[in-house]
Amino acid sequence: MLEVKELDKRFGFHYALSKISLDVQAGEIHALIGENGAGKSTLIKILTGIYQVDSGKIFWNGQDIQIREPKAARKIGIQVVHQDRQLIRSFTGYENLFLGMSYPKQKWALGIHWKQMRVEAEEVKKRLGIQLNLSKLAKDMSPSEKTMLEIMRAAMMDCRLLILDEPTAALNDEESELLYALIHKLVAKGTSILYVSHRMNEILRLSHRVTVMRNGKIAGTFPTNEMNKDKLVQLMTNQDGTTKVREHKSSLTGKPEVLRLTGISSMDQKVKHISLDVKQGEIVGVFGLAGSGRTELLETIYGTRKRKSGKVEIQGERVESISPKHSLSKGIILIPEDRRGDGLVLDMSIRENMTLSTLSRFSSLFHMRKQREQTEVHAWMERLQVKATSSEQAIKELSGGNQQKVVFAKALLSKPILFLCDEPTQAVDVMTREEIHQLLREQTTQDSGVLFVSSDVQEVLEIADRIFVVHDGATVAEFQNEAVTAEQILQVCYNQRKLSDVENE
Amino acid sequence: MNRKLPEYTVSLRNLFRVYGTLFAGVLIILCFSILSPDFASVDNMINISRQISFLVIIALGATLVMAVGEFDLSIGAMASLGGVIAAKLAVSGQPIWLCILIPLVSSLVIGYINGWVVTKFRVLSFITTLAMGTILGGITFWLTDGATIFENIPESFRYLGQEMWFTIPILSFIMLFLTFVFWYIMSHTPFGRRLYAIGGNESASRNAGVSVAINKNMAFALCAMLATLAGILMASRLGSAQPTSGDGLFLPAYAAVFLGMTSFKEGVPNIWGTFVGAAIIGILANGLTMLEVPSFLQDVVTGCIVIAAVILQKTGRDSS
Repeated sequence: MLEVKELDKRFGFHYALSKISLDVQAGEIHALIGENGAGKSTLIKILTGIYQVDSGKIFWNGQDIQIREPKAARKIGIQVVHQDRQLIRSFTGYENLFLGMSYPKQKWALGIHWKQMRVEAEEVKKRLGIQLNLSKLAKDMSPSEKTMLEIMRAAMMDCRLLILDEPTAALNDEESELLYALIHKLVAKGTSILYVSHRMNEILRLSHRVTVMRNGKIAGTFPTNEMNKDKLVQLMTNQDGTTKVREHKSSLTGKPEVLRLTGISSMDQKVKHISLDVKQGEIVGVFGLAGSGRTELLETIYGTRKRKSGKVEIQGERVESISPKHSLSKGIILIPEDRRGDGLVLDMSIRENMTLSTLSRFSSLFHMRKQREQTEVHAWMERLQVKATSSEQAIKELSGGNQQKVVFAKALLSKPILFLCDEPTQAVDVMTREEIHQLLREQTTQDSGVLFVSSDVQEVLEIADRIFVVHDGATVAEFQNEAVTAEQILQVCYNQRKLSDVENE
Repeated sequence: MNRKLPEYTVSLRNLFRVYGTLFAGVLIILCFSILSPDFASVDNMINISRQISFLVIIALGATLVMAVGEFDLSIGAMASLGGVIAAKLAVSGQPIWLCILIPLVSSLVIGYINGWVVTKFRVLSFITTLAMGTILGGITFWLTDGATIFENIPESFRYLGQEMWFTIPILSFIMLFLTFVFWYIMSHTPFGRRLYAIGGNESASRNAGVSVAINKNMAFALCAMLATLAGILMASRLGSAQPTSGDGLFLPAYAAVFLGMTSFKEGVPNIWGTFVGAAIIGILANGLTMLEVPSFLQDVVTGCIVIAAVILQKTGRDSS
């Protein structure tokens, strides 16, 4: 029914997808798995018309088609339920259901025919066997109800292929069962499902075939009954010995601690009682799946997220970090995950961005010493090899990698002793990625500490001396990065997920 | 590689984009000079510089608040209140420096409160300052009973508004001085840099250790102070204080800032841009009056010009 051939998608110089080929048969549940950043979301966005491909072909029922906009995808019968629910919070279930379709009108007036709308909605509900109070506002609905609502909405349109992106991420087991039943009903009616999930168990149970993605490529498509959990994890992580051997490090034992956390929790409980430490010269990796609280942990240390309890010590001195400003003065710096949203002032120049944390160093009394600023900025641009026309170029004109270098230069200017790095190599080309790793290693030789958060297991294994695994806001495992493999780490995550599912029952 | 090729065309286009509003201003002056023989006289230029002084001063403050990405709708009411308090104090026989200082200091406090409500409770500045404007209007009415204060105002109160130095009005000197000072603050001090950073990306600024709340509050406080000063000077110029005298400055002030955003620092509120914007609005008012265009039509023209300028700037930006 759907067939894609050799799809390529680039962002700048970075290949998000390369030579993706995949087919979905009519009435099939086709699972799609891969680590974060493997390219699943990008593929979905291409199939639903949000992104355009750079090369490659999409066939729909044998016809070569191009999906130029989301409307076009919907028209030919590709519906999607995104991970982040696309509902209008202040609308009722009915109103959300008919969103984007023509609302039934009253015969002689322009008003909406509410009764007609209700009748139609009830019909769909009956057809799919869904129990749902549609007069509730979307914001009052549980994640499960929202998912049902979205699937209903998809089913009301011409739905030949339904793409479900992590539909059970926020659901408990019971709710998931309801969802599975609904999926089977849809499939019985001839709808195909492209099912994206991190949960091995449900993929093994639900799907007919499974496609594994890795680093923007297809690692293989297999009949599900020939697969098991271990094989899938192995395919996802590609443990075939290509992992780089980490440079051996002189022993860190006996080195003083840069950071010690004792049972810190955030106000919103996204971080629950985490304790860990970072020694001088050490890179500590924090790995967790999406929504595990890894970003929130860094934010809680840095002070952008409110801390509820627990102790933070920097070089043995207790800090009540209430603001990023205070953290900076203690030598902590955050490299935020969302570079454009939280790291840079896009309308400003390279120079202005780079010195934002350290303005007082470049001013005497009230006057900005632009000459001094200029010299320093040039020195850093040279050192980190920022490619730009001049220090006055607007930061938004640079590539992702060069932008990130400016973020790092800004951080280094404040002479930090502890780096909190949140996915620092995300959407950055391979060269820059290496440069950033090298930079962090250099910093550790000067006795700084690094807390490195990544959703990429390989990267954590490549750079970290010690690895913490977080799940649901808490640390669940700690490994010395010596004999540990990606499989072991991922296994911990997936097992935790199973455990918490059991608890929810 | 390709960035070196079209240098000449790019710079010409940039020149027009960056100084387009300034060209438009010059064009307007040329038109009026041809249409009305009295327009280009030295006397009229001096006159214009006096007429726009209030607008420039109040718009400088609006520029600051807009630079941090907020709005202050209370500046009109703030100006009225400033004039009224100063006049009342003058009537009661206070020394003139005190008549000016007291309203200025109180407005700093009021402006800071505006900022505090916005930053502390995360109320939209639109709502906060709209309410503050209503409050200030109420206080003004209470102080004046709605009547203009004009009796027993001492001669000294009129000094700043009516006297000249070297045949140039003191008002014009004050305007130029403040424009220069705030240009310096916005482009040559860490404070100015922080304000722009906050307006550009609040979250990134916070992560870079900028105290977002304090800097925003300061912007609101300075904005309120400049509005009050405009009000005081207006009262001094007229020799009387009307309870609604500042209200008419509010919209033109923002029009000036928006016009200014189209020049010099493209898309960003900036001091010289605001100055040029206010000057254009003032020149239009002056020239159209000389041509005996009725005042309602003047407003229509001014509004159209603001919209046209912003559209031109937007399209210029998108095409690049």
